[in-house]
Amino acid sequence: MKTSIQRPRIAALVSEYRRYSHGQNIVDRLLGGYGWESRWHRPELDVVSLYVDQVPESDLSHERLERHADLTLYPSVAEALTRGGSTLDVDGVLLIAEHGDYPENEKGQTLYPRYEFFSACVEVFRASGRSVPLFLDKHLSWSWDRAIEMVETSRELGFAFMAGSSLPVTWRIPSVDLPHGAEATEIVSVGVGGIDGYDIHSLEAMQCLAERRRGGENGVAWIQAMRGDAVWDACQAGSFATGGWDGELFEACLCRSHQLTPIDERSRHVYPTLEEMKALVNAPPVAYRFEYDDGLQATMLLAEGLVQDITVAVRMSDRPEPLSALFYLGEGHQMQPNFFNPLCHHIERLYATGEPPYPIERTLLTTGLTAAGIESLWQDGERIETPHLDIAYQVAPESTFRRT
Amino acid sequence: MTDRLRLALITTIWEYRSHANHMGARFLNGYPRRGRWHRPDMEIAGVYVDQVTEGDDLSRRHAETHGFGVYETIAEALRLGGDRLAVDGVLLIGEHGDYPVNDKGQKLYPRYEFFEQILDVFRADGRAVPVFNDKHLSYSFEKARRMVEASRELEFPLLAGSSLPVTYRLPPVELPLGCGVAEALMVGCGNSDAMDYHALEAMQCMLERRGGGETGVRAVQLIDGNEVWHTGTEGRWSRGLLEAAVSRSDSRSGIALPDGRPQDLANSGELEELVERPAAYFIEYNDGLKATLLMLNGAVSDYTFAARLDNGGICSTQFLLPAAPNVTYSACLMRKVEEMIVASVAPYPVERTLLVSGTLERCLESRLRDHSRVETPELAVRYRAPNESQYALD
Repeated sequence: MKTSIQRPRIAALVSEYRRYSHGQNIVDRLLGGYGWESRWHRPELDVVSLYVDQVPESDLSHERLERHADLTLYPSVAEALTRGGSTLDVDGVLLIAEHGDYPENEKGQTLYPRYEFFSACVEVFRASGRSVPLFLDKHLSWSWDRAIEMVETSRELGFAFMAGSSLPVTWRIPSVDLPHGAEATEIVSVGVGGIDGYDIHSLEAMQCLAERRRGGENGVAWIQAMRGDAVWDACQAGSFATGGWDGELFEACLCRSHQLTPIDERSRHVYPTLEEMKALVNAPPVAYRFEYDDGLQATMLLAEGLVQDITVAVRMSDRPEPLSALFYLGEGHQMQPNFFNPLCHHIERLYATGEPPYPIERTLLTTGLTAAGIESLWQDGERIETPHLDIAYQVAPESTFRRT
Repeated sequence: MTDRLRLALITTIWEYRSHANHMGARFLNGYPRRGRWHRPDMEIAGVYVDQVTEGDDLSRRHAETHGFGVYETIAEALRLGGDRLAVDGVLLIGEHGDYPVNDKGQKLYPRYEFFEQILDVFRADGRAVPVFNDKHLSYSFEKARRMVEASRELEFPLLAGSSLPVTYRLPPVELPLGCGVAEALMVGCGNSDAMDYHALEAMQCMLERRGGGETGVRAVQLIDGNEVWHTGTEGRWSRGLLEAAVSRSDSRSGIALPDGRPQDLANSGELEELVERPAAYFIEYNDGLKATLLMLNGAVSDYTFAARLDNGGICSTQFLLPAAPNVTYSACLMRKVEEMIVASVAPYPVERTLLVSGTLERCLESRLRDHSRVETPELAVRYRAPNESQYALD
């Protein structure tokens, strides 16, 4: 019989467990703790079983198994969930299939086996007649069809399903949220990284603000992606209606960046001209322009080299000044990636309460936007109608990003 | 354009990695402020550079681009080559450059000496304008005190100090104004007497909000080496507050470097192995509050603070120092300088910097005197913290 003091037993499924992989970052924090609100926080749970899909030379899972006597390695996802027995024998699942050597498709998507891991979990859930809360890192899948199936399965079996990036929950600088119920008209992000890996992070940062607007979330009507010179041309269009985006929102993003690259390093921090921006990017920039069903206009920009961080700005119809913030991921690679701390905090709440801290529909929508954006790029920037993304959900007024 | 306020920048050196460049360039290029690229309604008009190294100096290059004058003397820079004070504000940035070091280990930046020359112009021309002094007022408390007195006598706003008090905090917290503080601990890194100053001022900008306001420091002591750990065991500083402070740290060191794992630095025993030469600065305030700065090089690379309040709660935060090359914290500080010049009022009291200048000097004296406790009756500096928070919130 389960008592209130029983610690949840967790199965961790990771693509690989090496230094700084998402698997290492998240599982290590749940195993050993992390800094949280004026103390070293030790999670009230036990990671009891581990499945590691790939074991490169730099693997750390064996060191962890040696140091944690109650952690057991299993050769399959199913066995990690049943702990070698015949039925489900854990209270929660951690599914982290990010990093590792997996094939890429022709569109540039890495085929991480999230759906495959998920399906193996669901098989155990079905066979056991019981399901447990499941956290899945980053987007649900590279494929929309798989993602929607995963969410529908979680609804059918009635288990708590949480997913997504750490961007929505990390510090913001400044520490602001979109006022709940605000009338947002346009949203722009400027971010680091490339498609399939970092577009999802920027989209999640945008979506966790956008979903708070008046009427809540109702989904996205269409998306159009562009790359290279088309992005710079659109940058001069001046507005969403004319094929670009609100220049003030773009400026707000660059002004919130802590890592805006100076064109003239002897002068340090300077605001670049358009020509300088073209010189600063170290890969062709990418834009996903999309419009929500209720008319909210959105542009996600990836400009690796111009910036090294992720910022978002929102125009609201009833306020003169846009809202803008840096989604803080640290100041460089020499620091600990402690944006995983608030993510782990929410993961712990998922297992403790059996309720996801924010709706899975957020990540379903960002997964669909990522896949559709990449598809549009693959089709040379064709506008793609997205009736399948008519995803409606509501979030509570209480903010869920790190503030304390 | 002629209505724009004009500034004089008086500096030791103006090179790429110097404070003059961090700060002065904000008035040349603008800086980010509340999500916009802010272009100050004031400009650098006259510059004095004490040490010029050919090839590294940027003042001449910036002068060509931005059209300001570089002058041979401080007086000329303030008068823009004319015969009367011709600027609306002065930036005194005496940090970096090749200056001697005294027996206390203090680098003898000529801030006081520059300030005296600025005063000479103010007095001779019968007019004074707001002055910003970067970092501590002087290596000497006596000189620092005279600087503050002169600003009172000539009635000009004087703003000074580090950017740590005004940068972003993670989380964005402040001690409740008037609260009771039982004990405080600051953790910092870097060399003395450059970086310990920043850490001490960061701690002071938190503690000055306690009940009764600031009444000054009665004694200090600086110890280093293994004795630092012993005093922790004896309870002279709190291991619990150390845990609270480093819970805010994002530093990566020790086992985390080869292995990635987060570490419970305060309690794992690893800290004592990692820190190269720990130092503890003990500060006893006149109202009985005890505060400690731990400089933990080798273990941390950021600045964190924790205080236990009388109600039992702990308040802790990291003073965020955004990375080079943009070092956005200096934009936060220049925003305060702009506020002072526009409003002709310093947004926070220079007495904070006066007290910390003296506290640091006396700590370094303690180090010189075999780490003995030094009584500091002269540091009875009294002031009230501003009601409104002054750090970056928007």
